[in-house]
Amino acid sequence: MTRISAKYLAQRLIISYLTILVIMTLLFVLLHSMPGSFIQTMQSPDMTGEQIERLKEQWGLNEPLWKQYVDFMVNYQTGEFGWSPHWNVPVWNLIERRLPRTVILFGATTITGFMIGPLVGMYLGWWRGTKRDRSIFTGGLIAYSLPSFWIAWLFIWLFSFELDLLPAKYMRTQFPQEVYGTGFEWTAMMAMRDVLWHLALPLLSLTAIGWVGSMLIMRTVMQNVTEQDYVFLARAKGLSERKVMIKHAARNALIPVATGAIVGIAFILDGAVVIENVFNYPGMGNLILDSVLNNDHPTTQAVFFMLAVLLVICRIIQDIAYTYLDPRIKFGEEES
Amino acid sequence: MTRVESAKQRWGPRIERLGRGWDRFTQHLMGPAGLLILTVFTLWALFPDLFAPHSIDWEAFRGEPPFQRRLTAQEIEQLPHPPAFGDPFFAPLGTNAQAHGIASLLVYSAQTALYIGLAAGILSSLVGVPLGLISGYYGDTWIDETIQRIADIMLGLPFLPLVIVLVAMRGITTTNIILAIVVKSWINNCITIRGEALSLKELAYVDSAKVAGASDTRIVFRHILPHVLPLSFVFLAQDAAFAILTQASLAFLGLADFTTASWGLMLQNIQSHGYVFQAWWWLLPPGICITLVAAAFYFIGFSMEDVANPQN
Repeated sequence: MTRISAKYLAQRLIISYLTILVIMTLLFVLLHSMPGSFIQTMQSPDMTGEQIERLKEQWGLNEPLWKQYVDFMVNYQTGEFGWSPHWNVPVWNLIERRLPRTVILFGATTITGFMIGPLVGMYLGWWRGTKRDRSIFTGGLIAYSLPSFWIAWLFIWLFSFELDLLPAKYMRTQFPQEVYGTGFEWTAMMAMRDVLWHLALPLLSLTAIGWVGSMLIMRTVMQNVTEQDYVFLARAKGLSERKVMIKHAARNALIPVATGAIVGIAFILDGAVVIENVFNYPGMGNLILDSVLNNDHPTTQAVFFMLAVLLVICRIIQDIAYTYLDPRIKFGEEES
Repeated sequence: MTRVESAKQRWGPRIERLGRGWDRFTQHLMGPAGLLILTVFTLWALFPDLFAPHSIDWEAFRGEPPFQRRLTAQEIEQLPHPPAFGDPFFAPLGTNAQAHGIASLLVYSAQTALYIGLAAGILSSLVGVPLGLISGYYGDTWIDETIQRIADIMLGLPFLPLVIVLVAMRGITTTNIILAIVVKSWINNCITIRGEALSLKELAYVDSAKVAGASDTRIVFRHILPHVLPLSFVFLAQDAAFAILTQASLAFLGLADFTTASWGLMLQNIQSHGYVFQAWWWLLPPGICITLVAAAFYFIGFSMEDVANPQN
């Protein structure tokens, strides 16, 4: 079954690594083209010129630009992300705690989105031109046009305020001792259930808009696939409609969905940044906004970098999934 | 042959083709519905004073400026005021916490949304389409390779964080928001147009143009461009919708241009004043407007796609 060769994987990894290097360079240029420097946010009016100089010296801003660049590249690759002037802790400490939370939200949505989207797209493409196709497609487009934070507010209002079913804030129960009585201790099972419980609403609001992207691609491809000869042949063989749709048509229609997946994944990541701020979910999206608004450049830089790396990793996974889906493609093998 | 006849001969087929395109566009309700919504919003944007119940400076209890008095404590307590018809004032969608009429703000905000949408859409087409054409026409050369590598890397950047950083850096103005959106949104156009150009340049008519001595520039922009134009309109509409949604998200995150009225800013205000779950008349209309205008652009885009790819 394995169609993936070591050579192909190595090739992808090298390309990803180069991409990350380019992204880092871009980031460096971006933040150094900023007017003024972030030292300005740390200095107070009664500081002498000497003190400001010392501050600059401390943050390495007096070095020549090329040295700053080299330092930056070396530091980032060795996992040294610097010191956050706003929170006054190493940046890595912030990221280390927040990255897994974002990965939970973002990963869960990506999975639900890419389960629902292609499935709906498959049926819509199969029923192309019918009234059902048109109405669900239109509904999907409207869902795609919803501002994510607004629909999240509506969900909070419905599920949290009116029905009182789901929590609307944070990632875990705050002060569990008050809720469950004193002497309460988290067990692993309890903690997991609590996190999932709090994840429900953010996941719902993010999935409500995140499923459409893959549905649109799947529907278009499915429409074209159903005209193909091999679908006709599969029907002629006497296979059931369901089998033709799933085994013959959908399997091929999934390939373009897999190649275009990164756009949808990036869309969901954008949504996650907004949704985290709606629900006070303590993830990377929350952190990047706080650090941008507080002029905390080292943290902004690092969060942006980690999100970019997250997408690069998704890209690798996408490429691997793609080779499994398409039996015709053999990457990195000798051509006979 | 008279002039009229020759003009008829020249323009007849084109008008007929336009008519066929219009037929396909109106085959389903989606396209006309999108156009209708967009027309309404365009009218709002062009003649806001005709549609808005008050001017943008109107305030509850005090009426139009110049104001004669301050609001009393009792009146301030009533804000945000639910929809009122004549008693104590006329505000069909109520007021917000600063005593401005929601209905008037809605109408006056249409300008911003359409401006951001169209400017971002047109700009990203102006960047993406030529780059895609060049990349496709010189397929498999270093030019193509360079453009595609850049597009590839940009595609992997997280879009919203990039826009957040860019806008926070360059200052929060509408122009900067548009530019930051365009930095990323040209890529989709570029990649798709490149694919089209790659297959178009293999066709016989391009070869005959080459034999006739046409320059590369002429072939790309005179002979290939007209064929990808419908497709580029599809992307223009989608980019416009996406830009409007991005502006709303940015506004929610506190990165809105506070000097111009916009639907995103209205939603940011309801959050910063803490009335999200108390004032439905303030919460619902801006969100519905954003959804409608974005959906209208998507509807038009996808109906255009039927026109651009008639084989389905």
